[in-house]
Amino acid sequence: MISQSEPSNAAVSGAAPGAEPLLSRAFRDKRLLSIASVLFVIALWQWGAGHVSGFLLPPPADVLDRFLDPKWLSRLMGALGQSLVQLGLGFGLTLLVAVPLGVIIGRSVILTRMFGPVINAVYAIPPVAFVPFLIVWFGLFLEARVALVFLMSVFDVLVLMIAGARDVRGSLVDVGRSFGASHRQRLRLIVLPALLPFFFAALRVGSARAINGMITAELFFAAVNLGAIMKRATQNFDSATVLAVVILVCVLGLIAQSAITLLERRVLHWHVRAA
Amino acid sequence: MMPALQRLALPVLGFAVLLIAWEIAGRIAGPALLAPPSSVAVEYVGLLRQGEMLRELGVSLRQMAVGFIAACVIGMPLGAVMGRSAVADAIFRPWVSMFVVTSTAALIPLFILFLGTGLMLRVTIVFLASVWYITLTTYNGARGISPQQIAVARSFSASPLQIFWKVILPALYPYLLTGARIGIVHAIRAMVLAEMFVIIGYGALMHRSGLSLDTGQLLGLLITLMIVSLFFNWVLGAAGRWLAPWYDLQRVTA
Repeated sequence: MISQSEPSNAAVSGAAPGAEPLLSRAFRDKRLLSIASVLFVIALWQWGAGHVSGFLLPPPADVLDRFLDPKWLSRLMGALGQSLVQLGLGFGLTLLVAVPLGVIIGRSVILTRMFGPVINAVYAIPPVAFVPFLIVWFGLFLEARVALVFLMSVFDVLVLMIAGARDVRGSLVDVGRSFGASHRQRLRLIVLPALLPFFFAALRVGSARAINGMITAELFFAAVNLGAIMKRATQNFDSATVLAVVILVCVLGLIAQSAITLLERRVLHWHVRAA
Repeated sequence: MMPALQRLALPVLGFAVLLIAWEIAGRIAGPALLAPPSSVAVEYVGLLRQGEMLRELGVSLRQMAVGFIAACVIGMPLGAVMGRSAVADAIFRPWVSMFVVTSTAALIPLFILFLGTGLMLRVTIVFLASVWYITLTTYNGARGISPQQIAVARSFSASPLQIFWKVILPALYPYLLTGARIGIVHAIRAMVLAEMFVIIGYGALMHRSGLSLDTGQLLGLLITLMIVSLFFNWVLGAAGRWLAPWYDLQRVTA
């Protein structure tokens, strides 16, 4: 999602500062337009919040105030740290289970045909619907939250890894075989590199789902961490605080996506990603 | 490449393995932890006879449809415009990429403050959960339309309106349907999420059977959700093959 810098464009607009009206320049440099769009909506929101009752839609300045309050911020960051622990445990478990399992199932035609329909059927069940089960099995605390994060991300990763393992072109493996590569070498040198793009796709989709699971778990089981802050603020009709937590979760998601994309660019510089 | 018998037998075998494992686990764990499929089947007939499950499901699906259709009506044109216009892309993309990573669950407390816990809340949550996926899928489709196709239409002096109806829209069909397929999965998830959060409708049924440790009934309710989700997926897939048979839907990635 990060737009690449365009040096030529920047040089052109830098060469004649002020020669062009800002508006038409913004229409040429698309990044300026994006920033303008964000600023415009925030300004509209600030203006609108002044005209609507305060606790319905808090003005952005109020939300910003929350982040600037050091006492609240330290509480928020403490809660975020706790939340990230369960996110890490749950998503780590997902990767540990779903990546090898996906490769094993996807590399075998028989296993794919056998378990593909089963996985699709279970995948069709909304994971939140398992919450009553998780309460019965794991209680209301950390174990249950980790289990929900796992459950919400595991099928997305599994399905993508199976698709990836099936996609590895037989001709590539055949070339390896005709050059006398052993089974192990073919796996390490041909199959695994060919799987990497799918692995990164699985990371991107799975991490978004896992973050979703993290906040869902904190609201649906015993309310803790970020979920507790949200629940308490809801009871006090403090929508600025609720919105601040929503924005934090959103930023967390954006950071995860950009970090994975950045890592993918570094590792997969040989692979051109389809748009 | 594979005999027809084997092609049919393997999925059946897969389900059999699942059911046997589940039956054994259920027998060991007991009905309070995990009801075995044999007793879920008996419960399921009871659930169907009693009628409450299907009644609540009907109400929930109707409410979900409102949010989902609104998401299609807004998401599909928005995605198409973003895909065809660089200016619209620059204006809307930051918002779409921001909202698409925002967890629906986190939005529920916020929207309870704005809208209360009634029908509007559920419709809005379903809408917000599905609209961004529909937009992004349409966007990817609209961006991928080959410029040559449009150039050919233009050189045959097609008007912009004709280009839209005759070139762009048919090229978008598979993406619109894939977007709808992805969207409906998220819509069903959001429906269950919102209903379980405010404990109403179908979500309340699940909540209740969980509290009473009636895992047989709970699994029955889950199986119904699974059937609904698979059914919608199948209908939209079939619609795609009928509307745009020249595309293999399996190859369209979101």
